Amino acid sequence: MSASPPAAGGEQRLLIDIVDLWKTYQMGESEVHALRGVDLQVHDGEYLAIMGPSGSGKSTLMNLIGCLDTPSRGSYVLNGRAVGQLDEDELARIRNREIGFVFQTFNLLARASALQNVELPLIYAGVPLAERRARAEEALQQVDLLDRAKHHPNQLSGGQRQRVAIARALVTRPSILLADEPTGNLDSVTSREIMVLFERLHALGNTILLVTHEHDIAAHTCRIVSVRDGRVAADEPVAQRTLAHASAS
Amino acid sequence: MNFLEGIRIALGAIRANLLRSFLTLLGIIIGTSAIISVIAIINGLNLYVAENLSNFGPGVYVITKFGIISNHEDFLDALRRNHDLRYEDARAIAENCELAERVAVEVHSTQDLRRGAEVVRDVDVGGIDPGIVDIEPYEVDQGRNIDEDENARSAKVCFIGNDLVENLFGTIDPIGKTLHLKNQEFEVVGTAKKKGSVFGMSRDNFIKIPFNTFCKMFGSQRSVNISVKGLPGVPLEESMDQARAVLRARHHLRYADDDDFGIVTADGVNNLWKSLTATIFLVAIFVVGISLVVGGIVIMNIMLVSVIERTREIGVRKAIGARNRDIRLQFLVESVTLSCLGGGLGVTAAFVFSWLIRTYSPLPTRFPLWAPLLAFGISVVIGVFFGLQPARKAAGLNPIEALRSE
Repeated sequence: MSASPPAAGGEQRLLIDIVDLWKTYQMGESEVHALRGVDLQVHDGEYLAIMGPSGSGKSTLMNLIGCLDTPSRGSYVLNGRAVGQLDEDELARIRNREIGFVFQTFNLLARASALQNVELPLIYAGVPLAERRARAEEALQQVDLLDRAKHHPNQLSGGQRQRVAIARALVTRPSILLADEPTGNLDSVTSREIMVLFERLHALGNTILLVTHEHDIAAHTCRIVSVRDGRVAADEPVAQRTLAHASAS
Repeated sequence: MNFLEGIRIALGAIRANLLRSFLTLLGIIIGTSAIISVIAIINGLNLYVAENLSNFGPGVYVITKFGIISNHEDFLDALRRNHDLRYEDARAIAENCELAERVAVEVHSTQDLRRGAEVVRDVDVGGIDPGIVDIEPYEVDQGRNIDEDENARSAKVCFIGNDLVENLFGTIDPIGKTLHLKNQEFEVVGTAKKKGSVFGMSRDNFIKIPFNTFCKMFGSQRSVNISVKGLPGVPLEESMDQARAVLRARHHLRYADDDDFGIVTADGVNNLWKSLTATIFLVAIFVVGISLVVGGIVIMNIMLVSVIERTREIGVRKAIGARNRDIRLQFLVESVTLSCLGGGLGVTAAFVFSWLIRTYSPLPTRFPLWAPLLAFGISVVIGVFFGLQPARKAAGLNPIEALRSE
């Protein structure tokens, strides 16, 4: 199967609309501008990477996109809703419904089984137990780990842990999968496994946003947004896409 | 996020650090078990006192030289001005108070008793009006009570308590046998049922002889106790007032003078006892309260440590949609679960203590059924009170920084 990336812009629905976004931190006396007017549009079903060296503002941008933080200036519309000036509890609801986080260090709860970890977002969404269990199993099925549902994180390999984390991100059927260096803690073979999974999820219509500093990883996506000094330095489609499922074989 | 979920998470966290959790709970365990043990002991004593300490029931009062005196100054004062009570005082009450149904006297002395080679020391010798059995009944085991005729002729007969039966007669039937009191020979006409002991003091170490016999042997200069049974259906206070008026007139007291005698009622004994236990109780509550506060502070401390240890977990939970109140509830439920566990262990420990004390010491205990509820209530209050600050701290964490923490 060949994943056909939808064209950027055009008929697809606008999911992320960021206009002139600023983030300023007060460091003692001086102000530090982590973001200096970022513009970014992401459409439904896109698969893109945000790249940039450390200190470029890419983490700040990711935190803003993930609704973990609010901008100092500018507007951010996520899935039709302006989320720039919401309070903490409203942001928590948005994160719960619209965002699926995948972290570099997996961040699974050590004392909970894979299934319980995947269920966690649904608990905060107030989904009743029976439905919760069914949906969590379905999400684990999507990452081919249903047979490990009862295992605890310390009984799983790194790649399996990351797949559980991806299932946890998928289980609420969010608008965007936001993955922060998802392969940073994995060896190259396992990394490719994860990238295959992302490709498959993209083909199923999920919008995926990778944050990475590795060009090899970014090359798997359809579009690379380079951030430098708090601004978008480049935003272009990937000409020569690496297809993980092809090179894996 | 619901409550059960919170309890499940809390139990998981407690199980993950079993020893630490137990040590954390020690203060609460000791506090709750101590408070319930104290309640169980006082409860048991109250019941015991109500049943055993006063021989006489409601409707009866006893006029004595001193009455119930609970402090030294009053005692010295009473020693100086109170008159001895005489047999004639009792006669006067019997004749002049229509609200006194029965009046009888008893007078006490402590003596040694002998039968053959056996000697029992420090026996309470009571010289009684035979009529006193109508007011303060003795439960007869064998034989009978002393009768009026024996009193009238100062007969040398006696009615003895169970200790004397055991110590002087052993397995021999004591009825009709004799014993020696001050080198006089007395015939046993009856024995009392065993009453047991109060706080290790035997209540069966007594001998009753006729009042007139007592006066002949020991003189009539001792103050007597006057037992009065009030007329049924009339408040006891009215009968007591009549008796007081009679005695005050006989003692030539002026209107402003205090009584120079005391009146003891079953209620009076119980009230004295209750005021005594109330003090013990207050002191105990104070001490236990300190232990509970310390226990609460330990819980707060361990919860603060837990918040720091689990900062990243809090960050993850927030990132996937936990609101501040979800995190706050989670940690609050955890501290309450922790303290309730302590309360539960405390109740169990108290139950065991209570049983041990009852079985292996003379102290009676009674485990109150509402104790678990009390412990539960205290635990919840402590858990919430001392868990609030750590829970607030956890809820207030910034998700980005929490995720970045090690």
